Amino acid sequence: MKIKSLLIANRGEIAIRIIRTARKMGIKSYVIKTAKEPNAWYLEEADEVIDFSESFDDNTPEFLDIERIISNAKKNKVDAIHPGYGFLAENPDFARRCEEEKIVFIGPSHDAIYRMGHKTIAKELARANKVPLLGGSEGTVSDAEEARKVANKIGYPVILKAAAGGGGRGMRVIEKEKDVERMFTLCTNEAAKAFNNPDVFIERFVREPRHIEFQILGDKHGNVVHLGERECSVQRKHQKLLEESPSPALDDALRKEMGEAAINIAKSVNYYSAGTVEFLLDKDNSFSFMEMNTRIQVEHPVTEMVTGIDLIEQMILIAEGKKLPFTQKDIKLNGWAIEWRINAEDVQSGFSPSLGTIEKISWPENEHIRVDTGVRDGSVITPYYDSMIAKLIVHGENREKALQQSSLAIRKFWIKGPKTTLAFCRAVLQNRNFRKGKFNTSFLSKELKLNYHHEPDEELLAAFFATYDFARGIQETEDKPLYVEKGKEIAPWVLNKRLR
Amino acid sequence: MAREAKTKKSSKLIALSASNKAYEFKKPLEKQIKYQGKMVDIKLHEDPNGFSYIVWKNKKYLLDVIEKNQNRYTVMINGVWYSFTVETPISLKRRRYLEEKGEVSSMVSIEAPMPGKIIDILVEEGAEVKEGEPIIILEAMKMQNEITSHVTGIVKSVSVKKNDSVMKDDVMIEIQKG
Repeated sequence: MKIKSLLIANRGEIAIRIIRTARKMGIKSYVIKTAKEPNAWYLEEADEVIDFSESFDDNTPEFLDIERIISNAKKNKVDAIHPGYGFLAENPDFARRCEEEKIVFIGPSHDAIYRMGHKTIAKELARANKVPLLGGSEGTVSDAEEARKVANKIGYPVILKAAAGGGGRGMRVIEKEKDVERMFTLCTNEAAKAFNNPDVFIERFVREPRHIEFQILGDKHGNVVHLGERECSVQRKHQKLLEESPSPALDDALRKEMGEAAINIAKSVNYYSAGTVEFLLDKDNSFSFMEMNTRIQVEHPVTEMVTGIDLIEQMILIAEGKKLPFTQKDIKLNGWAIEWRINAEDVQSGFSPSLGTIEKISWPENEHIRVDTGVRDGSVITPYYDSMIAKLIVHGENREKALQQSSLAIRKFWIKGPKTTLAFCRAVLQNRNFRKGKFNTSFLSKELKLNYHHEPDEELLAAFFATYDFARGIQETEDKPLYVEKGKEIAPWVLNKRLR
Repeated sequence: MAREAKTKKSSKLIALSASNKAYEFKKPLEKQIKYQGKMVDIKLHEDPNGFSYIVWKNKKYLLDVIEKNQNRYTVMINGVWYSFTVETPISLKRRRYLEEKGEVSSMVSIEAPMPGKIIDILVEEGAEVKEGEPIIILEAMKMQNEITSHVTGIVKSVSVKKNDSVMKDDVMIEIQKG
């Protein structure tokens, strides 16, 4: 069937990203307005807005309310739902409910989501398909005592992972036996909160691996291709900070081998739609299957930049039942793309979230640069959602050129308001081993002496500015009477907040 | 009286960095500052509704005052923040004198970086902590965040309990620098 309208059960940059492709394809887009972000930009970009903002309920966040989303989709007679990433994207019940209500779910089957979402089942499938795996517990571990026994058997370090986890959450590394109990409690708590399922399992922890993932696309006719890999090793506590495609660690032979393993995993659950198979790559180039993410990923733009394929468009066409318009040999990787995640985080105090208003944002524009963002001047980074401000994606004909373009773009990426990870991006770019492509998941803890880059004169200039402002303050209190109508000088969004 | 008159005319202000580095500027602050013994041009472009920047040695530096409380400043420049207290020669002298006598507080507060719930407190009063050591686990934005100490010292007070909800900037722990 031809999809004529779709509801995006998501917000922020990914909602805008999906709207753009929908518009290109002549599909009417619907989004959901919440009380937490009633002035967000994605609401203006969509064709229609469904209003959920009359209630403010922190216990059932709007984008997780399956029945409410489905009933509104039906009321508005939308043909399809795109879940984006996060929220309900990997919830098999949601996909199943869509199917029951004859709404096209733009993603894989609920069965594929369920089996890949349950990490112990996924590992079984990988084993059955002869895809290499890490050693670990068979199934989940029920208490700290069992965790300790298993961990002692495999040998430390081990990693605890939420069985229903994903997106880097619900994972804890245990270095020593004495930490088992504390880490087990932390991990199960987090898993219960984040995924509604406290089950955890244990795996051997590979020291300093690379994190490599393969983008795959499958249709409903059994065709599956991979679109090359993404290098995601630069992470902090399993949260990706930048991604590139291709990876400096892979050659054609290894790419072929890992790509085929990824396709086999996907075929084991008759996978269709876009998906990502994640691997750990050890120093000797042996790789092990970690998990499959059954959704579009945050970092999908780097793959789009090197393959020229619009992944959201393919997801929609696949959902309509169309065959893939290409085979594996048609897929060519052109040049190099890097995505820099610009988050509202204070890198100088341990990457803690830095909330507040984006007073102003601007970036340079040219043919090498793509920026995916859900914010603009006056947008608010709230505590209710993630701290992402923007994704800066830079393309070059090779890695060296992509790095040069990145330096220019990051220098001219200006944000006024919250603290951001831009200074971190600059620190990474300055690092010699990063420039050479020699890095792994320990990059942040071992390679970067400082998590942010600063130039010698910056403190002096900052001191000048503080002193200048202070001197002017003294002058003003001496010179001027107080204005009663101070509000006149306040930026409108600040005033809005105060009036509320 | 004569003395006070002299102070008022005092033509210097000093920005004292977090690591106690003193940056001295002549008043009124104009278009040149002393840099490595020479006067160097500094051009400040201010735009309250846009981006303010300094042009220094032919390079643009984006900057903004992100926090201001009396004479205490945090300035963001090219995405990196620096903290200062701005002092007059007299107030600096007084500060140094008090520091010597140990009356200036070396107490550092660990504040909640965002609203959330306390999941665990990893230190007790009297415990020694090192810079970068996790001291509290705060759940916010659906993540359990380890809040680390940004100083080395001794925990003087813990003002939160497990399961407490905290607002942004609530003081959770006080540490005596040492």
